[in-house]
Amino acid sequence: MNAVDLQNIYLAYRGKPALNNVSLCVPSGSLLGIFGHNGAGKTTLLKVINGLLRPARGSVCVLGRRLNNESFTEIRKQTAYVPQNIKVDPRMPITAFDVVMMGRFGKIGLLKQPNTRDINAATTAMELLEVLHLADRLYGEISGGEQQRISIARAIAQEPSLLLLDEPTNSIDWEFRSRLGKIIEKIHSERALTTIIVSHEADFLADVCDSIAVMDKGRILGTWAREEFVREYSQSRMS
Amino acid sequence: MPNMDMLRDQFMQNAVLATLFAGISCALIGVLVVTMRLSFIGVCMSHSAFAGALLGLVIGWNPLATAMLFSLAAAGALGPIADRGEFDPDTAMGVVFSSSLGLSFLLLALVPGPKTEALSLLWGSILTVTRTNLLLMAGVALGILVLLKLFYKEIEAVMFSRELALACGVPATAVFYGLLVASGLAITTSLSAIGGLLVFSLVINPAAAAYQIARNLKNMFLLAVTFGILSGWVGLALSCILNLPTGALIIVVSSIIFITATVFSPKKKKLQASIVEAGKTENG
Repeated sequence: MNAVDLQNIYLAYRGKPALNNVSLCVPSGSLLGIFGHNGAGKTTLLKVINGLLRPARGSVCVLGRRLNNESFTEIRKQTAYVPQNIKVDPRMPITAFDVVMMGRFGKIGLLKQPNTRDINAATTAMELLEVLHLADRLYGEISGGEQQRISIARAIAQEPSLLLLDEPTNSIDWEFRSRLGKIIEKIHSERALTTIIVSHEADFLADVCDSIAVMDKGRILGTWAREEFVREYSQSRMS
Repeated sequence: MPNMDMLRDQFMQNAVLATLFAGISCALIGVLVVTMRLSFIGVCMSHSAFAGALLGLVIGWNPLATAMLFSLAAAGALGPIADRGEFDPDTAMGVVFSSSLGLSFLLLALVPGPKTEALSLLWGSILTVTRTNLLLMAGVALGILVLLKLFYKEIEAVMFSRELALACGVPATAVFYGLLVASGLAITTSLSAIGGLLVFSLVINPAAAAYQIARNLKNMFLLAVTFGILSGWVGLALSCILNLPTGALIIVVSSIIFITATVFSPKKKKLQASIVEAGKTENG
């Protein structure tokens, strides 16, 4: 079964196509990277999968359900999304733990309060990302790299079936970068997730993903297995 | 010199209760407006409510009802404008704001007879608050408190990031529109007591002061409400002592609270320290 099935997606910003006739099938359980330079349409594609953007044409099926007004909320509860960055005022009175706990809100549902299971899920996710010591710090006060790790912890606390990561290495220091790759691989396999990582860092994708789709100017140029991608990419860098 | 006997007068009791309810509802809404950086939306709604109240006076309807209609219409229009992104939201809100202001002056000229009632909507008249108005203010304050209790986690997520809240499966759009409507109601019911020009300060100042101090959202709500009520009651007391307009003094007190909170903000010191530390790291 495909976790994501996009057919002939077209989406434009003010008349300029951001996704031009894009089709993509992501089998359940796969760890797919999407590589492309700035403006290639990678973030737009993730937002379409998550239902944050609606295409003008084409069909979007996520986790076996066609994305529409009725299915949006339910699909989002099973889909965790880590955006590139969230601009927050340093004085915003919301702690890092509060942010991680937000990952649970969709599952908890309206008119209900977080229980021990929710708190445990948030704590475990923070431990995995090595950010538990930041729990009581204001989210706006911590560094960009720490914020990114908190965002990923929030997504993991959600216990999703589909994990969407948009430039997860943003602001992450080199020392933690390779550990982050290992953490993503570990969570992906232990929790039987389907994971899609968008990045302009070919090396990171080649380290972590099983296959990599390459995007340019709103189109998917092709999808390669990890080894093929490494070969193609090194050749293109040489030429 | 006023004494405690004044509190036995019905109008004074009404004024004390009106400042209490306006302090609560405006401060709660203020927390949402300040954290979500929607200050201009609040200004637009307060001026739309003022224009609506003036229309009521011109056509002989209840000004409160027409103010509420205008305020809710503004909330209904501003939400989609902010959402769609077809216009820059600031530009769209600027158009709504200037149109409301222009309409207000036009309607002010059309109000028949003496303009006292119309001008009292501008400056507010807390000592002449009616029982009905008081009940409405109490209802709105209570309603906002109940909504906050019921949907606290959803509101927290939307305040942090609407996009993220949506991505987590929170009905962020419904929560956002609900907050706009609640803002409209809080502003409209406080209009006759605090005044169309001044009500916005009671929304912003206590919440902005709390923002400088609180390290979690619950404390921010509590502090904002405390500052809101304190501004109202101290302003009212000063008004009786100095024989000056109550609405204006409430705003002066709330501004002093804001300035004090900003000067002594522990977050500001921490922020400055972290900037210095970051600078040292970069240079070293």
